[in-house]
Amino acid sequence: MNSILKINNLTKHYGKIKAVENLSLEVQEGNVYGILGPNGSGKTTTLGMILDVVKPTSGEYSWLNAGSKSQSRKKIGAILETPAFYPYLSAVRNLKIVAKIKENGAENIEPVLKQVGLFDRKDDAFKTYSLGMKQRLSIAAALLADPPVLILDEPTNGLDPQGIAEIRELIKNIASQGKTILFASHILDEVQKVCTHFTVLKSGKKVYDGNVEEVMNQNKKIEVASENLEELKSIVSGFGDLESLENESGKLIIKLMNGSDSIDLHKYLIDKGIVLSHLSERKSSLEQKFLNILKESDD
Amino acid sequence: MIRIFEIEWLKLKNYRVFWVLFALYFLGLTIVCSSGMFLMEFLKSKGADLNGVDPTILPLYDFPDVWQNVTYVATFFKLFLAFIVIISVTNEISYRTLRQNVIDGLSKKEFLISKLALIVSLSSLATIFLFLQGLIMGLIYSKVGGLKYIFSSLEFFPAYFLEVCTFLSLAFLLSILIKKSGFVIVLLFMYTLIFEPFVVVNMEHNPHIPNTMDWIIPYLPIKSLNNLIRVPFPKYVLMRIQDYVALVDILIVAAWLFIYNYLVLVIMQKRNV
Repeated sequence: MNSILKINNLTKHYGKIKAVENLSLEVQEGNVYGILGPNGSGKTTTLGMILDVVKPTSGEYSWLNAGSKSQSRKKIGAILETPAFYPYLSAVRNLKIVAKIKENGAENIEPVLKQVGLFDRKDDAFKTYSLGMKQRLSIAAALLADPPVLILDEPTNGLDPQGIAEIRELIKNIASQGKTILFASHILDEVQKVCTHFTVLKSGKKVYDGNVEEVMNQNKKIEVASENLEELKSIVSGFGDLESLENESGKLIIKLMNGSDSIDLHKYLIDKGIVLSHLSERKSSLEQKFLNILKESDD
Repeated sequence: MIRIFEIEWLKLKNYRVFWVLFALYFLGLTIVCSSGMFLMEFLKSKGADLNGVDPTILPLYDFPDVWQNVTYVATFFKLFLAFIVIISVTNEISYRTLRQNVIDGLSKKEFLISKLALIVSLSSLATIFLFLQGLIMGLIYSKVGGLKYIFSSLEFFPAYFLEVCTFLSLAFLLSILIKKSGFVIVLLFMYTLIFEPFVVVNMEHNPHIPNTMDWIIPYLPIKSLNNLIRVPFPKYVLMRIQDYVALVDILIVAAWLFIYNYLVLVIMQKRNV
């Protein structure tokens, strides 16, 4: 895989506030990259710098998909913070300006408006839109030129539950076309559902960088239950690769060491003649991992 | 280049405030340029006489004097055009569309060029309109005819164009610097009509202020613009006037034009948008 974005020691200070501190990142083509962090952790500032609207204090970044920086931005669809459009112009006229700037996408105006569900209101002025509709228009603008790279900063802000689900589908859909997505959010569930990789920022510093699937598997837990829980418990305690064992509302919650999984445990229990009434895997949520990472970084 | 021009046009063509200001400018200019004779009639009816001369026989619209007269009078209307530039630029900041334009792939230099395209277009339209206005009034009232007279002293039009371009560039710079339209409009208005004229008058005539700094006056931002086209009317009471555009005045204004736009570029490159 090829890198599409390299960030090298990017730093931004606003006076005494260190918004971003020596951030280095590399994003591969086709990754769906989540940028996580509490409010004020530097997510938007970072995205602003790689989009040339925030001037870095030091450090550099490079887009590897085009020559000059403004040329590479034409091949990026981006939403940064609140939707920004000409309030007196309709959706169609606003998108015409975007297409003219990007030198691409004029023929896509109607399809993208249909895609985000704004087609019925396409000739109404932007100022008459609700927050959710404004956000949808931002997404339409980002998709307009069919860009290989998308940067989405809190794209589901202001949307209703149905809208959130639609946008999440849309993102998954786009990701499955092999596009690269950089996705900033503080809604972890969202990142867990759509991202392949994630990085965690805290007070402008990178505290974690990794693969979503790996993290989830690392913290995988197994639930088991049988008619005689006490007997089950004592037998499970004898399993070699056991890391921890808890009793939780009539079930045993088991965590195994890396390298062994539920199949190994089940075989062991069958050998011991145990019949289970319940067996399931419980992937830990990114939320737990995220909170752990933040907590660890405090120490 | 055409693309940048089109971008600016798409932003403005459905913006009602723009068309209203534009219409007000042309309306105001038309009224003032065409009412010279009515004004003289009015003065006469009030018993005015200019050193014994009947005001209604003043040849305000005679070719080629009409050119200096209309370009001089039109100077005061450039403030309306400046409002258009100020609103267009500060809107981009308050709507955050400047930021969005950059995110979408417009370079900051291209943004500067797009607003310069607006400035040049407005200045060109104003110049052409003024020429037509003067031509029509001249054809109606001029006692002097003939192409030879009609097409002499036309250098006042390029001078007027340069003056408007430079003034609008100043408005552009102030808009980028200050960002708030109301504040920029008041500041530009006060500076142009009150502050600088007040300073100049004091430097020239106040006996308590030494004259050692007087050399600076022709270089001041507004004074230098006003110097391009000098007051023509004293000639009607037989005083000497400068009835041409001086090269040195052009150079000073051109320098300001360059400085304003260069500063806009530097500020935009340095600043977060």
